[in-house]
Amino acid sequence: MKKYQPWIGLVARLVLGGTLIVAGYLKFDELDKSQMAVRAYELLPIPLANFMGVFLPFFELAVGILLVLGAATRLSALASGLLMFAFMIGISQAWARGLSIDCGCFGGGGQVAPGEADYLTPLLRDTGLTLLAVYLTLFPHTKFGLDKEPKSLTQPGEGNND
Amino acid sequence: MTKQQPGKDNFTRNLVVAVVVGVLLIMLVPTLLSKQTNTSAKTPASVSADRGYGIVFNDELKGVPVIDIYEDFQCPVCAQFEGLQGDYIESLIADKKATVVYHTLSFLGPESVNAANAAACSADEGKFLQYHRALYSNQPAENTGVWSTDVLVVLGQAAGITSKKFASCVNDMAYEGWVSNAAAAGAKANVNSTPTVFVNGKEIDRNGEYFNADKFKAAVERG
Repeated sequence: MKKYQPWIGLVARLVLGGTLIVAGYLKFDELDKSQMAVRAYELLPIPLANFMGVFLPFFELAVGILLVLGAATRLSALASGLLMFAFMIGISQAWARGLSIDCGCFGGGGQVAPGEADYLTPLLRDTGLTLLAVYLTLFPHTKFGLDKEPKSLTQPGEGNND
Repeated sequence: MTKQQPGKDNFTRNLVVAVVVGVLLIMLVPTLLSKQTNTSAKTPASVSADRGYGIVFNDELKGVPVIDIYEDFQCPVCAQFEGLQGDYIESLIADKKATVVYHTLSFLGPESVNAANAAACSADEGKFLQYHRALYSNQPAENTGVWSTDVLVVLGQAAGITSKKFASCVNDMAYEGWVSNAAAAGAKANVNSTPTVFVNGKEIDRNGEYFNADKFKAAVERG
């Protein structure tokens, strides 16, 4: 298991980072809509929601790029884990309160016709991504990352473990 | 990551982290600033900053319902709404029975910005309602490249606008700053989809009153 850990970490990094880059990039061109998506959760005060609508795509891109490159892996993984957790809270409360909104996870967002809202898919996806983030926070030393591993613990073909 | 080991340097990594975070921060700040209201932006005729940078009809009337309509010219549901309620709303304007404020949002993309700018130019010609109608009756699929500024100038003819001033206003995107102000005002008003209709500052029932002629009329008259 320990031998494969850096490789599992690599896959986790690419999946989590790749998802964040796609999510950030798709919102990048339509920040008005991104603001709308955050407001529609009816969770934050309007000015803060509008700020988050602009801020989140940039944040997702930054964290996603760092994860794919394997730079500051532990911190990026921790940040993305907390982000996913926040998303899950937002989606769950929207579901529980019976709001009819699009999650706006990959662009789009805002109110949708009653009955068209799908909360289960984004919740399951975010659960999976949170698990990847937790894994990477616990085991941040992965293959082909820019982070240097502690020398004494690294052997050729074998990853480091704490 | 937290344990730096002697002999292993993290220079490349630190450089990459600094570049990625730095570049995105440098892009984020102007974007946030551009979302602020630009009070020096040129505003078209009959626009009221106090009414969320909307295009206002019958601003002077007192004791009549105020109808705020948030729309995006590219939004298909807005075209349906216009088809169903457009005549009634225009009759309210003509008969001075309501103050109507059109908020032209632009969240569907660049062609929405083009169209909103062109609509502002038509307001200067005193033909906003005619042009509004022309846009919806010629609405293409979203962002397919149809609503270039050239096409939007030609569409003016359908509203009886042929002036050179209109053409240059549309082509120069003279009211782009205003379009952005209108979008920011819509964001502040917590408008999360289009069309959104407020009567006297309160949203009417999305599920019943938008697309039923009688119920819409009742909602307006209720005030």
